[in-house]
Amino acid sequence: MKYEKLTGAAEYALEALKNAGADKAVVTAFNGSTTEFNIDGGEFSLMRTIFNEGVGVTAYVGGRNGGASTNALDRESIDGAARDAVAAAQSAVPDDAWDISPACEPQDFPSGALECDRDAFFEAVKKLKNDIAAGWPNILIEQLVASYHYGASVKLNSNGVRFTGESGRYEVYLMFSAHDGDKSSSFFGSGVVFTDPTQPIIDMGSIRADLDAVSKQTDPKAFHGKFDGTLVLTPAMFGEFIGLAAGNFASGGVIIEGTSPWKDKLGTQVADTRLNVRFAPLDPAIVGAERVTEDLFVSEDFDFIKDGVLQCFLLSLYASNKTGFDRAKNSSWALVVPAGDTPLDELIAGVEKGLLLGRFSGGQPGTNGDFSGVAKNSFLIENGKITDAVSEIMINGNLADLLMNLRGISKERVVDGASVLPYAAFDGVTISGK
Amino acid sequence: MLNDIITPFRSGFDPDAHTELRLHRNTRRAVGLLSGNLVSNSRTENSGVSARVYRGGVYGFAADSETSEDRVAAVLKAATENAAFMDAHAGKGKGALPLLPCSGVDTAKPYDDVPQSVMIDFARQLDEYIAANCPKLTGRTISVRCDSMEKLLRVDNGYDSHSLMPRAFIYLDFSAETDAGVTVELYDVAGGFGGFADNFTDPALLYPFVDRLYTRLMEKREGVYADAGVHTCILGAEVAGILAHEAVGHTTEADLVLGGSVAGPMLNKRVASDKITLVDYAHTTPQGAAPLPIYVDDEGTPAEDELIIDKGILVGYMNSRETAEHFGMKPHGNARAYSFMDEPLIRMRNTAILSGTDKLEDMIASVDDGYYFMTTNNGQADTTGEFMFGIPFGYEIKNGKKGRAIFDTTITGVAFEMLKTADMVSDRMDWTCSGMCGKKQPMPVGMGGPDIRCRIMVGGR
Repeated sequence: MKYEKLTGAAEYALEALKNAGADKAVVTAFNGSTTEFNIDGGEFSLMRTIFNEGVGVTAYVGGRNGGASTNALDRESIDGAARDAVAAAQSAVPDDAWDISPACEPQDFPSGALECDRDAFFEAVKKLKNDIAAGWPNILIEQLVASYHYGASVKLNSNGVRFTGESGRYEVYLMFSAHDGDKSSSFFGSGVVFTDPTQPIIDMGSIRADLDAVSKQTDPKAFHGKFDGTLVLTPAMFGEFIGLAAGNFASGGVIIEGTSPWKDKLGTQVADTRLNVRFAPLDPAIVGAERVTEDLFVSEDFDFIKDGVLQCFLLSLYASNKTGFDRAKNSSWALVVPAGDTPLDELIAGVEKGLLLGRFSGGQPGTNGDFSGVAKNSFLIENGKITDAVSEIMINGNLADLLMNLRGISKERVVDGASVLPYAAFDGVTISGK
Repeated sequence: MLNDIITPFRSGFDPDAHTELRLHRNTRRAVGLLSGNLVSNSRTENSGVSARVYRGGVYGFAADSETSEDRVAAVLKAATENAAFMDAHAGKGKGALPLLPCSGVDTAKPYDDVPQSVMIDFARQLDEYIAANCPKLTGRTISVRCDSMEKLLRVDNGYDSHSLMPRAFIYLDFSAETDAGVTVELYDVAGGFGGFADNFTDPALLYPFVDRLYTRLMEKREGVYADAGVHTCILGAEVAGILAHEAVGHTTEADLVLGGSVAGPMLNKRVASDKITLVDYAHTTPQGAAPLPIYVDDEGTPAEDELIIDKGILVGYMNSRETAEHFGMKPHGNARAYSFMDEPLIRMRNTAILSGTDKLEDMIASVDDGYYFMTTNNGQADTTGEFMFGIPFGYEIKNGKKGRAIFDTTITGVAFEMLKTADMVSDRMDWTCSGMCGKKQPMPVGMGGPDIRCRIMVGGR
C-alpha cells in the first residue's frame, strides 16, 4: 500500500499525542526525495540526491497550542515530538481561537509527475545550457539549480480528517548575468516549474524574455535626476508587488493587530476596477500546488481582489477565529491574474516617461505600504520607447496608492508553473537617481 | 550530542576520489507573542547523514534523514555513483585537489536547551513590561528564536571535526501611529552565540533595551522623510556590518567571482579608500572570540582569517578547496553547509570592516547637511557590487548636529565606488550575528563594522 508507512506513523503520532495529554491534535507524516543537477560558473558542478522523511505534530490542550517536528518516523522520535508538542502546549497561554478543521470524507490528492526521468531531465538541462550559449553568447550562468522533487504525505487530525497525497515536479532556477569585457549586468534570476522533462526549458516561463533583457544590460547608465512617472512591471515584478501588498495589508498578523490600512476595506475598492487577483492552486497552469491548507481544509481557489474590490483577508483558521473574518480558502501563493486588453507594446508606447522594472531590490515595505528600493535590471521608457538600461536608480511609492493608479494590464501573460501573470503599468511612482 | 556512527565508514571511502562524510543536526525553537497572543510555539529537529565525493572536477552528493548503518552505506554509495554520473556526462578531467594537513578538532560543547515554558514565561514577562510602559504602541511582537547546528565530519584528507553552534535571540517589533494616522515600525534584536539560558537570565535586564526601542519609535513618529539624492552620511556600525557582508563579502566569494562578479578584474586593485580594511574572521577577532566561531569548515579545511581588503586594496577571495586550486590561493575554511541535506558552499563567517581612529562625535560634527543611518532591516547586493539597504532608523544631521529622526528609507550605491569616498572611520565597532545569509541555503553569519562617513545615494520622496 502506497501510504502504509506514513499512515502507520501518522496514526501512531495521533495516538501518542492523545496519550501525552492532547485533547485535540493534528499530524502530518511525510517522505520525499530530490534529484538535482547544478551548474556553477557556466559548468556542471554537482549531482545531488536527498531522501527525507518525518512527522510534524500540533497538540491542543485546553485551548492552548504547541507544535514539534522531527525528520524521523521511528516510534521513539515520534514519542519525543508528541511529548515536546504537549509540553509546549501546556506552557502556552489559553486562547479560544485555536481550533482544528472539522471531520470530512477521506481524500487522496495525487498531482504532477510522480516519477523522475533522470536521464531525460539531465539532457533537457544540458540542452538549456547549450541553447543559452548559442543564443545569448554574452550570458554567463552564475548558477543553475535543476531539481526534481517528489513528496508524499498523510495528514490526520483528531476530528477524523484524513488526507493523503503525493506530488512530483521538476524545477529549474537559473541565475545569470551578461558580460562585455570588464562590464557586466546585474545578476538576474528566472525560474520555472513543470512536469514534462522532454520539453525545451528555454521556451518555458519568461526565460527567453529574461535572457533577451539582461543581455542588453552590460553597460547600464547611472541615472541622474528625479521625476514622477510610470512603472511598468514585468510579470514577475507584478507578482512580487501583489505579494507585498497582500502580506502588508491582508495577512493574519496585521489584521489581528489592526494595523493594516485595509482592515476596514473588506468589500470596498482597494484597486483599480480592472484589477482581478486570484489565489488559484487548482488552476491547470499551476504545477503541484497546495491541495490541503495548512489548517487541513481542502484547498479551493478564491478571488482576493475582484474588479478592484477586496474580497477577503489571507487568514488562517486561528486568525479567522481571532478576528471574526472568514478564513482564506487556500494558503498557497499561486497567483493568477487575468490578462488585460492592451498589448505590451501599446502599453509601453503610451508611457511618456517611466521605467520598465525587471527586478526590485528593496526593504520590506512599512505597514502603511510605503516602499523604497533600487530598480535593477531595468530600462528607462521615454516618449513611448524603451531606451537605456539604467543603474543606481531608485523607486519610491506606496503600495495602496499604486494599486489605485493602474494604467493598464497587458494581453500577454507569463505562465511559469507557479503563477500566471501579465505585465502591468502604474502611474505616480517617484523615480530618482544621483 | 551526536553519536559517532560514521567513523567506521571511512574504510569505505573511494581511494580515487575525495570524500566527506557528515552527520548533521539542526534544531529550532520558536515562540511568538503578537500583541500578547501566543501565535507561535514550536520545536523542530532536523538531522541526517550526507556524503560528498569529488571526481574529475565534479561532485556527487547524497543525503538521508535515516542514519542506520544500511542508510549511511547507501548514502556513501549514492554520492559515489552521482560523482561517477557527473564525471561521465560532464566531467572536466581535473585531477585530485591539493592535499591538506590531517588532524582533528572537537569544539562541540553541550548547552542548556531550555523547554518552551522557560521561553514563553520570559516572553510574557517582557510583554507585560512593554504593555505597561509603552503606552503609545499600536502593535508589539516578541519573537524568541533559538537554533543550533551540530556537525560531525569525517574526511579522507584534512581535518575531522565535531562542532556545535547554538544561537538565541529575542526580536522586538513595535508599531505606532503618527498624528496623521500613518503606521511606523521599528525592531531590534538581542542575543547571540549560545543557548537561551546563556543569553537571557532575567527579563528585567532587557528593560533598557525595550526602553531604547520605544524611545526611538516615538522619535520616528515625529520623523521626516529623507531627501532623495546623494548626501554625505554616516553609516552606523550596524549598517557598516551589513555593507561588509552584502556589498563586498558576496562579491569576493570565489564561486561568485567565477560567476562573473565585479571582484574578478579588481584583484590587487584599489576598491576603497585607504581607511578601509575588511576581514572575514574565522574564530577570533581583535576584540576576542568571533560572534560565530568556525574552527574547521565542512570540507575539512582548518579555518583561518581571510584578509579581503587591505587599506583599500582588494587582496583576497573566500575559497573552497576547489576554487582555491583554481585561483592559486590557500583555502581558509569558508565552505559550509546549513543542513544535513546541503552540500558545502563558500560562505562568509564573521565579516567586518575594521575600526579606525575617528570619534563618532567628530564625524557627526563634520557633516553640514546629511544623515546618520543607524540601523538596517534588510540588505541586498548583486555581483556588480550595487547594494541596497533598508534603513528603518536614523537621523538628519544639520550643521554638525543630530536633528530629527527619519522615516523608513533606502540607501544604495556601488560598493567599490562608494567605499572610495569613505574618509572617516570611527574607533568603535559593533558585531551582530542574528542574521541568516541566503545563498541557495541559509547560513548563520556574523558581521561587524565601525561608523563610516561617506557619500551615498538616499531614496526619498
